[in-house]
Amino acid sequence: MKRNSRLKINYFILEVIAIIAAAIFIYPVFLMFINSFKTFREVIIDVIALPQQLNIDNYFYVIDKMNYPRLFVNNILITAVGITGIVAFSSLAAYIIDRSRSRFTSLAFLFIITPMLIPFQTFMITLLKVMNIINLSGSRVGLGIQYWGFGIPMATFIYFNFMKTVPKEIDESAFIDGATTFQTFIYVIFPILKPVTATVIVLDVMWIWNDFLLPLLMVNDSQKTKTLVLAAYNFVGQYNTQWHYAMTAMVLAIVPSLIFFVLLQKYIVKGVVAGSLKG
Amino acid sequence: MLFKDKKEKYLFTLPAIIMVSITIYLPFLISSYYSLTEWNGIDREAKFIGLENFKTIFLESGQFFDVLIFTGKYTALFMIFSNLFALLIALVLVQKLKTAKLLRGIFFVPYIMSMIIVGFIWKFIFSQGFARLYEITEFGLLNLSWLGNSDLAFYSVVLVGVWQQLGFYIVLYIAGLQAIPGDLLEAATVDGANIFQKFFKITLPLLGPSITVCMFMSLTRGLKVFDIILALTQGGPGGSTYSATLDIYREAFQYNNYGLGSAKAIIFFIIVLILTQIVLKISRRNEVEL
Repeated sequence: MKRNSRLKINYFILEVIAIIAAAIFIYPVFLMFINSFKTFREVIIDVIALPQQLNIDNYFYVIDKMNYPRLFVNNILITAVGITGIVAFSSLAAYIIDRSRSRFTSLAFLFIITPMLIPFQTFMITLLKVMNIINLSGSRVGLGIQYWGFGIPMATFIYFNFMKTVPKEIDESAFIDGATTFQTFIYVIFPILKPVTATVIVLDVMWIWNDFLLPLLMVNDSQKTKTLVLAAYNFVGQYNTQWHYAMTAMVLAIVPSLIFFVLLQKYIVKGVVAGSLKG
Repeated sequence: MLFKDKKEKYLFTLPAIIMVSITIYLPFLISSYYSLTEWNGIDREAKFIGLENFKTIFLESGQFFDVLIFTGKYTALFMIFSNLFALLIALVLVQKLKTAKLLRGIFFVPYIMSMIIVGFIWKFIFSQGFARLYEITEFGLLNLSWLGNSDLAFYSVVLVGVWQQLGFYIVLYIAGLQAIPGDLLEAATVDGANIFQKFFKITLPLLGPSITVCMFMSLTRGLKVFDIILALTQGGPGGSTYSATLDIYREAFQYNNYGLGSAKAIIFFIIVLILTQIVLKISRRNEVEL
């Protein structure tokens, strides 16, 4: 009995320490939020104090200045184009690589997944040149298409590891019913791959939505094609002394990810774990 | 054999092969060539100069060497602190705490934010937040020039890097800890093992695969650090926080030395390749099978 209550106290102390640690940990994010509601004067006088009133003028100003709705649409478009291609081409490739084992497919597999080891920065200089030539730079759809190439290696790897566990009898019965290979893939295999597809989507949405360097290289020239993070970067650079506006821009840039996370926390954490342990 | 129709294996892998070739292999090959040239990005033709760029990098200027040292130091500290703190926090968060779920969520929040924004938040904290906190607490550490002094700026960059990524490693370690069979730890308790013995003799060895993954991930991510530094210090003060990737970026896109930049990129690639192979070998050897 005594031991039990001592254990309880220990847990209580541990819990208090953990809560304090988490509070300190997240404090910078909290500061960003509260300062986005302050006036310039308030920020200068005291960055730590809570805002005197919930002032959303900053938001109106920044949303208008950044052209936020447009950026939002850009991000959605780029991410959607990217994800669609990555999911379609990776699952298709992983399917045939697993089912039709031959010299060619094992070479193809190696060819497709090896780029996971090549850091983006080692070829970004000439990537821009190549993309200029084939007209994929400077456009939102073009940028989305580029993500296919960068996302396919890891996605194919994850799909392939799962494909190995899907029994071959499933395809065979579809073939006996007269389905072609492609039909079998679309109607039978792809639905089975749903949990992996969820993992791939979660990982790639987080990556593409927040990506910075590739958009900086490809779509930074025109206001019309910028992504959210890129616009926030430019905005903060421009307003680097007006912290109240800078903070608002930053909040606006991360709020979509925050909502995405709060709504889908379970899947995101699962996806991150699955993606890393298999990737 | 299932697939009598041979054309599908070509057809279905083709989109993936083409996309990977265009976006990765082709630029990589061209980069390798440009590393042997002098090219400012504007002239039509790059001038072939053999190994001249590599000579410049290795013999004539120690600048890239300093950059690599910085990147190495950053990566080492980033790996140590990310893994140490993540494991520690994961150990706490797998206990039966009422708020465990909420706390896990909180520690994960920085990871879902763009690194550029994270860099800016901390720039604000270091410049404005610390100054105000110092006025209130008079805690001396807060009054230092965390971004203005080159030694301190290094630690600031490490701190922010670890802060942003910590949640990711926590999640992986929690998954690893939850996979350890509870009866194994109970048996040890019955046999009279204390909490430290249990940790070092059972938990840690069985956590091998998680540690391998986390070490590998933190290594590659540490080596590639870019966004956070760009937002936080832009390589300053006095060029003391230039990472390899930021330096390659500057060489090519700010100084327009595309040839030299490509040469640096190739050197960086080889270093990354060697280091990742070494870390993989070491950690694989230390893993324990259940």
